[in-house]
Amino acid sequence: MTYALRRILVTIPLLLAVSLVVFALVDALPGDPAVRRFDLHANPEAVKAWRAEHGLDDPFLVRWGRYVGGVVTRFDFGKSYAHSHPVGEDLGRRLQATLELTLCALLLAVVVGLGVGILSAAYPRSLFDYAGNLLALGGISLPVFWLGLLLWILCTDLLGFPYRSGRAEAPGMATGLYLFESLFRGHVSLFLEQLRRIFLPALALSTIPMAVITRMTRAAMLDEIGKDYAVTARAKGLRRRRVILKHVLRNALIPITTITGLQFGTLLGGAVLTETIFSWPGLGSYIVEEGVLANDTPVLVGGILLVATTFILVNLAVDLLYSRIDPRMRRA
Amino acid sequence: MTHRRLRILFRSKTTLAGAALVALVALTAVGADWIATHDPELRQAEFRAPPSAAHWLGTDENGFDVFSRLVHGARASLLAALAAVLFALLLGVPLGLVAGWYGGWIDSALMRCVDILLAFPSVLLAMAIAVGLGGGSLGTVILAVGVVLVPVFVRQVRAAVLQVKTHEYVIAARALGAPDLRILLKTVLPNCAGPILVLATLSTGIAILDAAGLSFLGLGPPATAPEWGVMLTKGVRYLKQREQWLLLPPGLAIAITVLGFNLLGDGLRDAFDPRQR
Repeated sequence: MTYALRRILVTIPLLLAVSLVVFALVDALPGDPAVRRFDLHANPEAVKAWRAEHGLDDPFLVRWGRYVGGVVTRFDFGKSYAHSHPVGEDLGRRLQATLELTLCALLLAVVVGLGVGILSAAYPRSLFDYAGNLLALGGISLPVFWLGLLLWILCTDLLGFPYRSGRAEAPGMATGLYLFESLFRGHVSLFLEQLRRIFLPALALSTIPMAVITRMTRAAMLDEIGKDYAVTARAKGLRRRRVILKHVLRNALIPITTITGLQFGTLLGGAVLTETIFSWPGLGSYIVEEGVLANDTPVLVGGILLVATTFILVNLAVDLLYSRIDPRMRRA
Repeated sequence: MTHRRLRILFRSKTTLAGAALVALVALTAVGADWIATHDPELRQAEFRAPPSAAHWLGTDENGFDVFSRLVHGARASLLAALAAVLFALLLGVPLGLVAGWYGGWIDSALMRCVDILLAFPSVLLAMAIAVGLGGGSLGTVILAVGVVLVPVFVRQVRAAVLQVKTHEYVIAARALGAPDLRILLKTVLPNCAGPILVLATLSTGIAILDAAGLSFLGLGPPATAPEWGVMLTKGVRYLKQREQWLLLPPGLAIAITVLGFNLLGDGLRDAFDPRQR
């Protein structure tokens, strides 16, 4: 069996196990969801009917099986307890908003992280190197949501740049990735409006991955620069810049790719907090505002499950990509 | 820790700075009762008053003295983070030792469980656990953050054991017929202590950040508790009024503490693994 096929097959039981964990955790919520929905003086008949309607009287495993079946066959995540709206419809829309935000943050983190990391490694122990190190350390030490708020204050009060939260309305777009689609279609005004709204949350969200990628790039580059092939390349008269960018960077990219893939989890987790602060209508704010705060079980299960599934699939994609870059991986 | 390692550790100025920051926060936490100028949960005359001679960092919307809450917050936040890491150590180290030492089906089973837990973004899993536990107390935060750290510890300890297992002194101990438990505790564990110490230090910083995040989502201690995450959450609520004394101090306190643990952790890693420089 090829590595890719084996890797894909392993993902299926993992997804099932993850759904079981999420289902069990939310099921452990103290109190009866029906009692939480109605008040104490509610008509017991109505409570009973509501429980029956939502299938809450069945055993745990039966409910889990029915749920997974619905999700797999019809993308049916049940209906919200609070407003009876199908959770699946909300999830699809919000997943695209989250993907747009996380992709922007990742792009920012990779561009800045690689750039700073390469320069730091090219000029070790320079002032730039120390400043880069300090920024990277700061990046992994700040609470994301606090940094987001500081950036917000900085923008509006000190720079006089009126930041607007939330997403722009974008009728006529085929996908939910407004920023990328508007650029692709040449809608400049929509692109700029969207860019101005996404910039702050993306920047706040990108700090941790940016710091991690910077540190990894610097370390991996320094590791490779000292190796024989790099020294030989220099000795035979190649320019330093060319050795660093052509030879050393290519080899350093392997660990950098791995760590970048792993950062997607940090991004999806960080999105939960960042989206809540910047009112970004993605999965994170959905889980927090409509799930946790409104105590809405189907929203919670669906939201958490979709984020975890996205994370697993991204990791799968990174692994498969990785095995193409580095054939040694396929045997591991 | 040997003499040589201690010397490497404190030769670095950044490590020293990290140790100093951690010591500062630890001392504040221990001496909170003496350092605080007011009772952190006693109403003062003014509400949301800006910093003054009487209230160094002003008062919050309950009329509590912000400086005193910040000082007592060091205790709550540090205790919560350390308790979470201790939880992860107590569960993760034995499981990692067993998985790495015995291998076979027990290793496979444990690693599959680890895979499942690591399939979640950590903040999200901590949130789901806190929701499942009902939220609303420091204990919930400790357990939620602790459980999320466990798989990371299991994996790291297992990797360390796999490496140590091949060393001659372990093989010698086995050949002498020493019982497994004795080899694990007396020979294997001490030689895995370095990576475990590094991971525990770096995890403490992560635990503080995760705990603050949970508080921010309303899953932490009650709104009157003197804890940094709670204070930050309330500062956010008055963001529009630009009452920065409610927003800046708790965030800075968290940042400084986490930075301290990160610097110290990096230094420890350098001291224990010279290749990682």
